[in-house]
Amino acid sequence: MAVCVAIIGKDNSPKFFTALNPDEELNYQYKVLSSLDIVEEKLGVGAKSGSDLRELYLGMLYSLETHKIYGYVTNTKIKFIIIVDSTNMALRDNEIRSMFRKIHSEYADTVCNPFYIPGEPISSKPFDVNIKNIMTGTV
Amino acid sequence: MNGTLIEDGPIVDRRPIVTCAGELEVFSAIEDNLVQALPQDSCDWRRSLGRPIRSVHIGATFAPFSPAALPKASQWDLIRQPLFHIYWTECTDVDVYKTSVREDIDNWLKELIAKDIHDWLVVVVENYDGKRANKLLPRTTVLDKIRADFAPKQGDRCISVINPGKVESRSADSWRGLVSRIRHLLLISYARAVARLEDHVRQQRERRNEIGWDFMQYFQLQEELAQVLEMLGLNDEALVQYDELDALFSQFVVNGITSECVNWLHKFQKPLEKWHGLKLGPSKLSNNPSILELRAYLFAKQAHMLLLTDKVWEMAARCLPFLHTCTRELAILEISAPPGAVACWLFLASMEVLQTCDKFNHADEVENYSLHTASLWEYSSQKIRSLGELCGLLPGDVPNSQQLHTVVLLSAGMGDNPGTPNRPSPTDKLKEALCSQDAFNKTYLELAELAMGTYKHIGRLRSARLVGREVASFYMLLGETQKAAAFLGDALRTFEQDGWHELAAQTQIELAECFKKAKDVRKLVGASAFVSAALEIDTLIRWTYFDEMSKCLDSLDKPLVVPFNDIIKIVSVCLNSDSVIMQDSMINVELVIESNFPREIVSTNLVVSLEVDNKENKKSNEKYCSSRILTGKDLKQRDPMLQRLRIKRNLDYKQDKQLATAGIASKYTELKRKDSAAPPVQADFSYCLEVPDLPLLITPGLNVIRLKKQANKIGKFYLGQVAIHVKNLHLISSMLTPRLALEIREESPSLKLYKRTAPLLSGIEQIMNLILTIGSYIIEPKSKIKLTASPGLTLQVIPDEPLVSALEFEVGENIRFTSTRTRLRILADMLSKDHQVTIHCPWTTKPILVPLNFTPPLTAGWRLHTVLHRKFVQVSVVGQCESDLIIDQAVLKTGNMPCSAMGKKHESSQIISNGSMFFYMWELVLDSDEVSSTIKTEFSVRYKLDEKDEDKLYQYFFDISDYQTLYILDANVEPAKGSEFCRVGIVCHLNLSMKSASQMLRTNNNVKSVMYEVLAEQSVWAVCGRTAGVVCFDSEDEPQTVVLDVMPLTSGYLPLPLVRISKYIPAESGNSEKPNKVDTHPRLEPFSAGQVYNKSKGKQVHVIAAITEGY
Repeated sequence: MAVCVAIIGKDNSPKFFTALNPDEELNYQYKVLSSLDIVEEKLGVGAKSGSDLRELYLGMLYSLETHKIYGYVTNTKIKFIIIVDSTNMALRDNEIRSMFRKIHSEYADTVCNPFYIPGEPISSKPFDVNIKNIMTGTV
Repeated sequence: MNGTLIEDGPIVDRRPIVTCAGELEVFSAIEDNLVQALPQDSCDWRRSLGRPIRSVHIGATFAPFSPAALPKASQWDLIRQPLFHIYWTECTDVDVYKTSVREDIDNWLKELIAKDIHDWLVVVVENYDGKRANKLLPRTTVLDKIRADFAPKQGDRCISVINPGKVESRSADSWRGLVSRIRHLLLISYARAVARLEDHVRQQRERRNEIGWDFMQYFQLQEELAQVLEMLGLNDEALVQYDELDALFSQFVVNGITSECVNWLHKFQKPLEKWHGLKLGPSKLSNNPSILELRAYLFAKQAHMLLLTDKVWEMAARCLPFLHTCTRELAILEISAPPGAVACWLFLASMEVLQTCDKFNHADEVENYSLHTASLWEYSSQKIRSLGELCGLLPGDVPNSQQLHTVVLLSAGMGDNPGTPNRPSPTDKLKEALCSQDAFNKTYLELAELAMGTYKHIGRLRSARLVGREVASFYMLLGETQKAAAFLGDALRTFEQDGWHELAAQTQIELAECFKKAKDVRKLVGASAFVSAALEIDTLIRWTYFDEMSKCLDSLDKPLVVPFNDIIKIVSVCLNSDSVIMQDSMINVELVIESNFPREIVSTNLVVSLEVDNKENKKSNEKYCSSRILTGKDLKQRDPMLQRLRIKRNLDYKQDKQLATAGIASKYTELKRKDSAAPPVQADFSYCLEVPDLPLLITPGLNVIRLKKQANKIGKFYLGQVAIHVKNLHLISSMLTPRLALEIREESPSLKLYKRTAPLLSGIEQIMNLILTIGSYIIEPKSKIKLTASPGLTLQVIPDEPLVSALEFEVGENIRFTSTRTRLRILADMLSKDHQVTIHCPWTTKPILVPLNFTPPLTAGWRLHTVLHRKFVQVSVVGQCESDLIIDQAVLKTGNMPCSAMGKKHESSQIISNGSMFFYMWELVLDSDEVSSTIKTEFSVRYKLDEKDEDKLYQYFFDISDYQTLYILDANVEPAKGSEFCRVGIVCHLNLSMKSASQMLRTNNNVKSVMYEVLAEQSVWAVCGRTAGVVCFDSEDEPQTVVLDVMPLTSGYLPLPLVRISKYIPAESGNSEKPNKVDTHPRLEPFSAGQVYNKSKGKQVHVIAAITEGY
């Protein structure tokens, strides 16, 4: 169960942000923002040249006492960030990976909507619901 | 195995124990050498299970042999038991050997064999001296004997060595041989022991879920393995052992807490009493450690291994996850600790690691571990801050007794770990920091600065900014608002750059608070404006800040410029006038803005600057808006980094035009530092579009504002910035891009001379229109327009004034964009058709030339008619004037020759319309005596345009020459003889008679020969025979007659064939005066119109049809 999911555009501005606990959202924003540093580092020149270019999952970006932050970058440099409670031991790397994949496909569906302007924040309610479901693992 | 470790010295010694038997005094001489020499060289270690061969260094500790200490065969912990056994002897005499040594060795071996130990070696130390060298080489040596006796099949178990005490090349060789033999054999036995240990560890691990299994026991077991590997120099493998332990423990904590069978875990679930700092380097684990102690020990070991393998960065990298694990495990195991104790420990641990990193500071490693230390610095600064909070050390707090007590408690729990004065240990530091607020402030800020610096160094600017936020809040507590504002400002900029509006808004709130505290009204207004317009913020907060802003606005004494940012968004800008605007007309711009203020604001002024669009300073990359409306889409700023690159093909050719390289190139020049954004430039608002009625109420949401400006400057402009003034708060937009350009033009006055539709007529005063069009500006009324006419042309603008050839008149009062018509009277004489008026205008130096074409109102032509000797002059008059002309009093003056008018109309007035012709006829009364070849004739007629007009005279001059009749020509057609009528197809006679007018020939001797030609119409007449001939007039008054044969071709009344006569000038009668230029050909000259009178003109002959036809 993830506590927060963020989608960051290629210009590093947030396109979508949701947290299970709305009160925590601001704190999560700070966490996600600082994780962008590490995403950029991982995407930096040479860092990914050797490894599989098709691997979009970046792994754990960093961990805090209370949370772990995972990253995933699409080929078009859209970043997905998941924040997970570190006390949650049930979530292994594979679960996170599949969560990202689900978010990615959900995102792809949403941006395919002709009424969505690429680069704008996503405000679709069904998308929010679907992402929440992915976060809570009900999908 | 009782769960305790035998500690000797700082590190547990895991060198294999080698026992020595025999002549120990021999051994003791070389023991030191041997202990040193053994680990010096590496030896290949072959292992089972397909593990790679590692080269290891093996050392040994030597102990005297004692049968009691020998391990039992089944024992697994051979590592701590004597492993290898060496028998030393110096005996060189075979006899001595036989008597004593042999038995001794035998006993020794029996002891070993009894314990099933096969790892032994017999060393025979030989002492060479001068004496022995002379002796004969003995047949058998002691060594041979020993070999034969004890190791017939294992020759390598016996070795002789030359006493290394004597420095000789031979002795060095044999020494090396000994050392390597011992090393080899020792390793074999040691390997066996290790394998047994590994097996045991494995077995024990398999039993981990059994009741009664204790982690600490297992820990010691596996650690032993790790220590063995460490001793062998296999630090990486040792690390693996520790990592396994680490993972195993973590697993137990995570999974086993609920399980019954891990009740050993409960041993750790005791309240935390000590939180001594983590200590890297040699350390030992106390009995019954707390979880922190265990963890710290494990980490210290791991770190030690990593440091030994030169992986400082990995140690740093492991630190933070390790600390997180610890805190998490403390939570899972529900271990209670005094408040702050864990934080203390975490702080101490991170500081210890950081200090260690510092110690291993090599220039090339800083880069590596900075990546990990940055977050450690941040972590430690967070921890100390939380401690400060707990102990009331934050600025502004005064620690109460409880908090003081906490400090004492925490300090006690830390224990003592004194460092050197130069390098205080983390414990020293923390204790000092907890002692006083100043020390705490210093420590915290130092750590935070280090965190920020390191983050910046590794390029994690965002993380650095977040630390900056923390620091800012600390400075806020300190009351150093300026520093706080600086950090917050940096953070704000980063958030804005990344487009994290909510974070930016939050930071603005903090900034606003900061400015409020600093009583910096100006900045407070700016920040409040931003916050109140931030949609992400709660409405109540926005209202609060809006009120704050409104309150502060009054106290602003100077204008405060605040950029629009997100406070006010420009939705669209529309230029409602044409993009080309006439001078002094209105520029109308419709501006649609979206105000994000939560309430209405009253704008005291709203302007849009107009910037002069200079060609010179125009940059090529400035974009212009093609239409007259800028919408939100156009206004959206584009990130240059996200723009499509303009890629160009790039081909390089060799000298021989062959392609050398092909590539693509991009001219990407927009790379610039993003964070050095210039402050908003305030445009020059001296020339700007304004809102006509102020103050203007700007409501939240969309506002449509119409701006106007009279275009009183000429040139090209573009819309610059929008400024909204709320009292002294000046909200300024950025430059509007792409540029919305407009051009203000002036129109210069023009002066044109128009004629009316009818063509200009000479001789009549006519009106032309002089039209003065005033352009976009007024002309000085006193200035003068000057008209100059070409000769023969006169003009006047003032009615009833005489016409003049040049005149001036004043422009007079004028209004923009009007034209005035001046009636210009103009009169051209008849002499010339083309005239020209030159106009000098006051506004230009260049004169205007107007060519004018005049036509006379009448045209006249004349013709001479002859009847025998009488002459008639016909004058035709054609009206050219558009309107009807009244003509009368036609007069023909023929010099002194009289003439008489034919008919009565000459005096009477006639109306002649345009294009119609009117004829007059006069007969010339010829006086036969007075003959002049040319008559100068003048025709004049009076004309007027209408009855009221005064008469004007039209004159027509012409000459009548060669008018006298010279020849009279007559012709008739007669039927041939015998015929009564002329018939078709029958030849008739054409009688041609030419008579000279007698009196003329006297004077005109030249014309004596006349040539006649019959020019019959070919369809009517066929001329038979000759058609032309020459007749000579020799005799006077004698008509010359010629008969020609002609044949009518059709019937009816046929006009006679036309006969033409011409002057015939024979060749020989040319100019005899000029003999050299003899004209050899005769010439013909036509007669002029009046000289020949043809009587037969108009005659007809009746031709009847041929008789052969029909019947």
